[in-house]
Amino acid sequence: MATVSFQNIEKSFGKTKIIHGISFDIAEGEFVVLVGPSGCGKSTLLRMLAGLEPITGGEIAIDNKVINDLDSKDRDIAMVFQSYALYPHMTVRDNMAFSLKLRKADSGLTNSRVTNAARILNLDPLLDRFPRELSGGQRQRVAMGRAIVRDPKVFLFDEPLSNLDAKLRVAMRAEIKALHQRLKTTTVYVTHDQIEAMTMADRIVVMHDGIVEQIGTPLELFDRPGNLFVAQFIGSPSMNVLKGTLRRVDGREWVEAEGRQWPTLIHTQTLDGQAVHYGVRPTDITLSSSGTGIAAKVIVVEPTGAETELLLEVGGAQLVVVMHGRTSVRPDDTVHLEIAVDKTHVFDRASEQRLD
Amino acid sequence: MSANAKRRRLTWKMVSTEAKLLLIGIPVFLWTMIPIYHMVLFSISPRNAATSGRLWPKEPTLGNFAFVFQQKHFYLDHFWAQLGNSLLIAISVGALTLAVSTAAAFAISRLKVRGGRTVMNLALFTYFIPAAFLAVPMYKTMGNYGLLNSQWSLILAMVTIASPYCIWVLKQASDKLPWELDEAARMDGATAMQLFRLVYLPLMVPSLVAVGTYALLLAWNEYLYAFLLLSKDSSVTLAVALGNFLAADDSPWELLMTTGLIYALPPAAIYYTFKRYMVSGLTAGAVKS
Repeated sequence: MATVSFQNIEKSFGKTKIIHGISFDIAEGEFVVLVGPSGCGKSTLLRMLAGLEPITGGEIAIDNKVINDLDSKDRDIAMVFQSYALYPHMTVRDNMAFSLKLRKADSGLTNSRVTNAARILNLDPLLDRFPRELSGGQRQRVAMGRAIVRDPKVFLFDEPLSNLDAKLRVAMRAEIKALHQRLKTTTVYVTHDQIEAMTMADRIVVMHDGIVEQIGTPLELFDRPGNLFVAQFIGSPSMNVLKGTLRRVDGREWVEAEGRQWPTLIHTQTLDGQAVHYGVRPTDITLSSSGTGIAAKVIVVEPTGAETELLLEVGGAQLVVVMHGRTSVRPDDTVHLEIAVDKTHVFDRASEQRLD
Repeated sequence: MSANAKRRRLTWKMVSTEAKLLLIGIPVFLWTMIPIYHMVLFSISPRNAATSGRLWPKEPTLGNFAFVFQQKHFYLDHFWAQLGNSLLIAISVGALTLAVSTAAAFAISRLKVRGGRTVMNLALFTYFIPAAFLAVPMYKTMGNYGLLNSQWSLILAMVTIASPYCIWVLKQASDKLPWELDEAARMDGATAMQLFRLVYLPLMVPSLVAVGTYALLLAWNEYLYAFLLLSKDSSVTLAVALGNFLAADDSPWELLMTTGLIYALPPAAIYYTFKRYMVSGLTAGAVKS
């Protein structure tokens, strides 16, 4: 177990700067997920930690020891690649034992480590097979086994589930999480899938265009997104956002958008007439049965079994509402919306930062 | 009735396809086989019947082979030594070319050595000049090094000629190896040499066999350079010795052809031995593509 610390990390490819001074710390045994859209620099950051990419500026430390100039192999980290990167000419056993063989570990230790990792990952019956004889999920497990055998200070995962089909991805997600709970090795996990991030992480680092947008536990990010980007990136379906103007009259506060009044709590950082984005999650809107609230026209009804997703139109804007259970609502019906006022979010229009 | 007609049309189509294939296949077959047939015919004919024009000799004999193996002719005094020379030189050229070009391809393709591609392109540039034009400069160069009449001169010359192409082929092949394998190996603690030995070489085996065979056969079949750089009867290759048969007016054709047939056997054997190694798909399962 180890701590990891990023201090003002910068990265340029030629003249193009793609990471602009990132700093954060990872605690011992923590499972941190770097998440963001493609091209946000998350993989590059991971590769700099791995030693596969030179660091342009700043310092990365593992256990308070700066590792900028250390070779990958001397950093005591193990990485699981998106494409598995198994050695095709070696059996599963040899793949897993490779790093220990290079370190000239004695064969007793190597055997017990490989056997142990194989047991954890249910790979025992496959040890003498070649990677080409394995399914995608099995290959992914071998790649993890190769990392476990090393018993490294830090595990790195670079989009390890992207190549698996949806069902297997969910299963492997749980497997990786269980593995972390068991081994408690500090883990840095890169993904573009916010669901993966939400379900697995102790803390999530949301990245965008080479900067960190917000760091926090999954529920912190979900409940109190620090800016518009995080608000829209985290959560599925994503948050409804309307452009509007904040009004404050007689100790009451609301947002005016699409010709309607949208309820909010009283804010301390806002001014009457301020241009804002008003955000509310699809799950925080309910259909009112009393006929009060904001009127909306139903466009599409999408039942998914346990839930029903409604696409609604209010003025010129579209809203998504997720209802529990089923509904008799039909397209072209008019419904009235009730909004959980304590779960609304207001962001400044210009800075896109959260207003409290 | 209509089904019948359909079947018949189909048959006609198949026949015409077959006919086209035969039209190409038969000439190619003849083109390849007639010289070999002639060689075999000469080699099993007694001396005076060799040029009789018969399709099969009246009294086929293996006497010519015995004659060659026992070195019983003026031109064949050094047959075994010359066959040995050919083998030694071909194998050395194959091995040296492999060593040089594998290392170069690894450095250019996997280690991304600065200027590597330029070096490769410069090397390929030498192919713009026909090898025959380079023979005299090569002769002078070898003279400067004092290597004339040494078999090293031919080995080095052939390695020089074979290497650029081999480097290029190997570089193309190694570019196709998944890059993540190198990164995984580096993270596992492999040095560049370990990466080369434990990951790169095993995955390159099919290309190495192909390239090694190419260099070996190139050296085995080489005449011009061997003729120029080597002169002692006991140190020339069999290819040069075969050429010498034609120095006289009444060449012993049946012996020339017998020796030629023997000379043609090792390449055929090499080709069939290594053919099964030249398969792709060794990297299957490494990464998901």
